Amino acid sequence: MKFIGTVIVCLTGGLLLYGTMDLPDWGDPGSPASTHLSDYYIEHIMEQTQVPNLVTAVLADYRGYDTMFETAVVFCAGLACFLLLRDFRPKKDRYFRHVPTGVMLHFKNPDTRMIADNEFEHMDKDWVPSDMIIKTVCRILIPFIQIYALYVVAHGDFSPGGGFQGGVIFGSSLILMAISYNLKTLVKRVTEKFLSIFAALGVLIYVGLGVGAMVMGGHFLDYGMLAPLLPSDPGHIRALGMLGVEIGVGIAVMAVMVIIYVNIVSEGRHDEGL
Amino acid sequence: MMDQAPVLMIVVPVFASLALTLIGPLGHRAAYGLLIASLSLSLTASLAMLVQVVQTGRAVHYRMGDWMPPMGIELVIDHLSAGVLALVGTCSLLTAIYSLHTARQDNPDRLHHYYALFALLVAGLLGMTAAGDVFNLYVLLEISALSSYGMLARGRGPAYYATFRYLVMGTIGACFYLLGVGYLYIMTGSLNMADLAEILSRPELRESVSVRIGFTLIILGIWIKMALFPLHAWLPNAYSRAGTTTACLIAPLMTKVSVYVMLRMMYTVFSADYVFQQIAWSRLVIFLASAAAVLGMITALSQRDLRKMLTYIIVAEIGYLTGGAWLANTAGYTGAVYHILADGIITLCLFMAVGAIIYRTGESRAAAMQGIFQRMPVTAAVFLVGAASVLGIPPTCGFFSKWYLLQGAVQAGAWVFVAALIIAGLVAAVMFFKLLEKAFFGRLDDLMIEKSNGKPGTAALKIRMDEAPLTMLLPLVFTGAALVGLGIYTNEVVQYLIRWSVPSGI
Repeated sequence: MKFIGTVIVCLTGGLLLYGTMDLPDWGDPGSPASTHLSDYYIEHIMEQTQVPNLVTAVLADYRGYDTMFETAVVFCAGLACFLLLRDFRPKKDRYFRHVPTGVMLHFKNPDTRMIADNEFEHMDKDWVPSDMIIKTVCRILIPFIQIYALYVVAHGDFSPGGGFQGGVIFGSSLILMAISYNLKTLVKRVTEKFLSIFAALGVLIYVGLGVGAMVMGGHFLDYGMLAPLLPSDPGHIRALGMLGVEIGVGIAVMAVMVIIYVNIVSEGRHDEGL
Repeated sequence: MMDQAPVLMIVVPVFASLALTLIGPLGHRAAYGLLIASLSLSLTASLAMLVQVVQTGRAVHYRMGDWMPPMGIELVIDHLSAGVLALVGTCSLLTAIYSLHTARQDNPDRLHHYYALFALLVAGLLGMTAAGDVFNLYVLLEISALSSYGMLARGRGPAYYATFRYLVMGTIGACFYLLGVGYLYIMTGSLNMADLAEILSRPELRESVSVRIGFTLIILGIWIKMALFPLHAWLPNAYSRAGTTTACLIAPLMTKVSVYVMLRMMYTVFSADYVFQQIAWSRLVIFLASAAAVLGMITALSQRDLRKMLTYIIVAEIGYLTGGAWLANTAGYTGAVYHILADGIITLCLFMAVGAIIYRTGESRAAAMQGIFQRMPVTAAVFLVGAASVLGIPPTCGFFSKWYLLQGAVQAGAWVFVAALIIAGLVAAVMFFKLLEKAFFGRLDDLMIEKSNGKPGTAALKIRMDEAPLTMLLPLVFTGAALVGLGIYTNEVVQYLIRWSVPSGI
């Protein structure tokens, strides 16, 4: 079986290499990919959208419909992950620490009255003794990571970056919090309800901007039609539309990152995990 | 309103999906109502477009963000896609109505999230069908694939493993498609289907190896997605272990839309001339299709589980469709397109009937058919119509698609395919007669005794009417009527819809 697999992989690889035979040279300025549409984009993007970052303009405006569904793909992944993994049954097996003595206790079937008692502290099964250095460094770092994430989202139309990247950075700052403290700290601050609302809200902002343009009488995602609604000069309206879209993408990606992380590490129980 | 119909059709289910994730506290009735409302709107939009396309005889183009096509993305609804859109809209709405009891049974605690995936899947399928851009098609393929993985894995027993296998295979298929699109983009610099077709018809690209490899990769990817014979191993397990609603939604639509994508690639992006002169695989493909039809039906015959049997019938039907598409003549093409519509409804009808039987008896083995005519007369009658369509008995639509396919095969001189169609039909006849014999003459006691572990007397041996609930029965009867209706109006469907989409050069 392994042998057949190897043969198939080699054949496919050979086929792919064979297919590169009459591809244009690497970076050839005369190749179809750099002449057919690129010229149009390079010449017209600045006047049509006033967005200096061509990649963002193509991604969020010319091909904005694709990007809307890319966001929906992210949302769909979060939804599927939640639907399949989330387990509402509480876990029986738990660890507690008796605070005054520091003794660790393992309960197969804990008495809930005791949990309410202040003397016992619920510990994580995969708990790592919390390190003061790690905690402090992360506590200082997390706000900066988040500010940077917001910067990446907000400057998507001027510099490399945008909603997807910013959302991932923001999500990873929250995951860092879960890793350096514990999962409960994260879940207490960023609740499940908050995350599911934000995941849907992000996509909704994108779809909403598209529908807004439609309501104003234009085509779907034609940000130019939103001009009467926003106090901005009409030439700049497409850039604003793109910014709105990027914010939507950023929110959705951030929420879905955390949803997937929390569900996977805690086996869907949202109480303890790495 | 009318000129926004193409985008409304796709965006309304997406919107419903977002709303559905948030309305959990309102209960299952609200979720059910919202799903039905959004799918009805979407179906209305797609039917309106079908009417418009048929009346004007021209394709509807919709520019996203008002950018001109090769720069921006456009939706194109022509005669071919309008028919498939109406099929997707109708089947998904019927399944949604049908799902009131079954979806709750399968997802007791988070029905609204399940329905959200349902709506996203429908949006993905509609978007794939309406796409006029090869990359946009890929993005929507991702949406429909991801949501179908989520829904299928909610099934019973080892559904996780079956779905994981499907996930790996499906991802490989999607990757192949994307790689192929990449090759085409490097060679042409365009992603728009009409623009690609124009560039690819230039003589210097006809001989290009890279374009040929691009075509190969795209077609291979689609074949994995539509489970053509040697690549079908993922399908039976994944579909037969799914929940009833999931199976009713995915089984008829996913594979049919993939066949549509294959037709789109073969005839719109590439041309009949290129596919049959330059690539010239027809013989091989027709051989594979024949093998799919015969082996699919024979494997179906050997199944004891009703749903497993139906999934192998899908494999066989994919053989019919692929064969018809690669016959390279008008009759074969007409048969393939007509059979996309017919087989979508046939599969939906059979899965719904079997779902109703499973819902009432709790059994999915063929033994559940015992005496079904006495207990569930309506369901059984519709099942009979569905079976007649698979066999190809007039006036059901199955007869006419078989007729066109046979005609095309004879014209093309593809005798292997002719033989495969006849043998598969005979095998299907044996299979359904075996089942219907049980359904008519089977003694109810046998099932009851089997259920009570072989001890007679402990089970209640009353024969009584135990028909499925009304929400399941109505869509079921509708599909049964649609099978006969489509058969009776074959001439009109071919004349107003399919004849217009026949590509030049075949």
